[in-house]
Amino acid sequence: MLALIKREIQDHIVYFVVALICSAALVALLSTAAFHFDRPEWAIFTGLTIPLVVILVIGFSAMGVTQMYIDRNRRISAFLSVLPVTRGRILAAKIITGVLAILIVLLPVTVAAVALRRLLLPPIPIFSDLITDEMTTVFLMLFACYCLGLLTGWTPSKITPTFGALGLNLVLFSLIVVKGFGPEIRLLLVLVIAACLIRTWHKFVSTSL
Amino acid sequence: MNESVIQVENLVKYYDGRCVLDGIDFAVPRGCIYGLLGRNGAGKTTIIRILLGLEPATRGRTLLLETDSASLPAKTRGRIGCVAEGHNLIQNYKVGRLIKLCKDLSLQWNDEFFDHLIETFRLPTDRRVRDLSMGMRAQLNLSLAMAIDPELLILDDPTLGLDTVARRQFLELAIEVIQKQGRTILFCSHILSDVERIADRIGILAAGKLVVDCPLEQLKDSVKKLRVIFPEAAPANLYLTEIVNQQVQGREMVITVANWNKQKQTILDTFKPSSCTEVPMSLEDIFIECTRPSAEPLEVV
Repeated sequence: MLALIKREIQDHIVYFVVALICSAALVALLSTAAFHFDRPEWAIFTGLTIPLVVILVIGFSAMGVTQMYIDRNRRISAFLSVLPVTRGRILAAKIITGVLAILIVLLPVTVAAVALRRLLLPPIPIFSDLITDEMTTVFLMLFACYCLGLLTGWTPSKITPTFGALGLNLVLFSLIVVKGFGPEIRLLLVLVIAACLIRTWHKFVSTSL
Repeated sequence: MNESVIQVENLVKYYDGRCVLDGIDFAVPRGCIYGLLGRNGAGKTTIIRILLGLEPATRGRTLLLETDSASLPAKTRGRIGCVAEGHNLIQNYKVGRLIKLCKDLSLQWNDEFFDHLIETFRLPTDRRVRDLSMGMRAQLNLSLAMAIDPELLILDDPTLGLDTVARRQFLELAIEVIQKQGRTILFCSHILSDVERIADRIGILAAGKLVVDCPLEQLKDSVKKLRVIFPEAAPANLYLTEIVNQQVQGREMVITVANWNKQKQTILDTFKPSSCTEVPMSLEDIFIECTRPSAEPLEVV
């Protein structure tokens, strides 16, 4: 399994580099915004965060699409499947790689947010819950985008994965903008993730390689 | 031991409503080298893909090492070496990286034997797979399959793209593997002289059916090509069953008959032929007769 995960990371290293850059930028923006909370520049920092989130949403979706599209069209799984590896493990390795990439972005941001809260805010439980809620929702959102990418990427055509994933991500993103980071949206995201993973699993395990 | 390493039971496969495999049944015992033959599109690769779990069967059951091939666990896969048609490797990887990946994923790896193969084939480890020639890719694929000391080796047209020297090297290597006790090989090839050299059991696919499934020697003994000369014009009908091919020219008749036996010889003798000589047949000749479009359906099983 480790060899498969290592292979996935090496093959998609560009996404990990982008994730690392985005993570560093988010931590920098978060720290700067925290120290300029009362000043007019704060709005600029918030404004800069939105494009970064959009990059992450599209980036993780693209990562899912690339993993599946390249695999199918270069017949990588067809080769791996004749080695002592099951299709289930190949897909699991892809998903674990995706989760790792998301954690590369979110872990440093979460650590920075917790540190800044302890440093700057009074120890009221509501602030702690706010960080947990926001980070959980962002994780689920990015993972849902990634799963949509996996689902739409398993096709010989280039148009379906590109526009399919983009359209579905737009719908998800709009929902979060409208509904916020509440428990309803988390439930919805979990359902989207479960549906995508079950369908992807079924397609990947049952089709000809 | 008479245990079957490969078992195919009533295998049926349809592609877009077209029947490619129509009720295939065969078994390969442990230690056997089974040569699966057929013309292009006969369904050899489909059988291999179904056996490896790369393709679902429409109906029927296939077992590899006593495990259903549709759900082969990693442990069983680790005992099977495979060289797929077209040498389907990860094209954008460097040879060295591909070797490392296969080694990391394998349950066992014979470094000494693998290094010997890489040296024999003079494979460059610093070049990308896509930059290798077809022959080199075949050699790399074969080396990767052999390095795991497989209990079962499945070779789908492995000598495709190899030059004469490399083909000879491959055959010698295959013989080396065969000599290791208990190894089983399923071997598809269009180069019938290669198959004839190493196979001890033959299966021939024609029109989606397995028309021949028997030991090579038995096949050679049972399919006979006879040149019969009659005192007058050759009779229109010899009343023999299982005639694969029949050509008449004046007093001379050349017939190919399957499952030749004393009874058939007696029937032929009733026509009092002036002479009857046997024309020696190689595996290639038998294959051509069995897969000829105009040939009568033949079963040597």
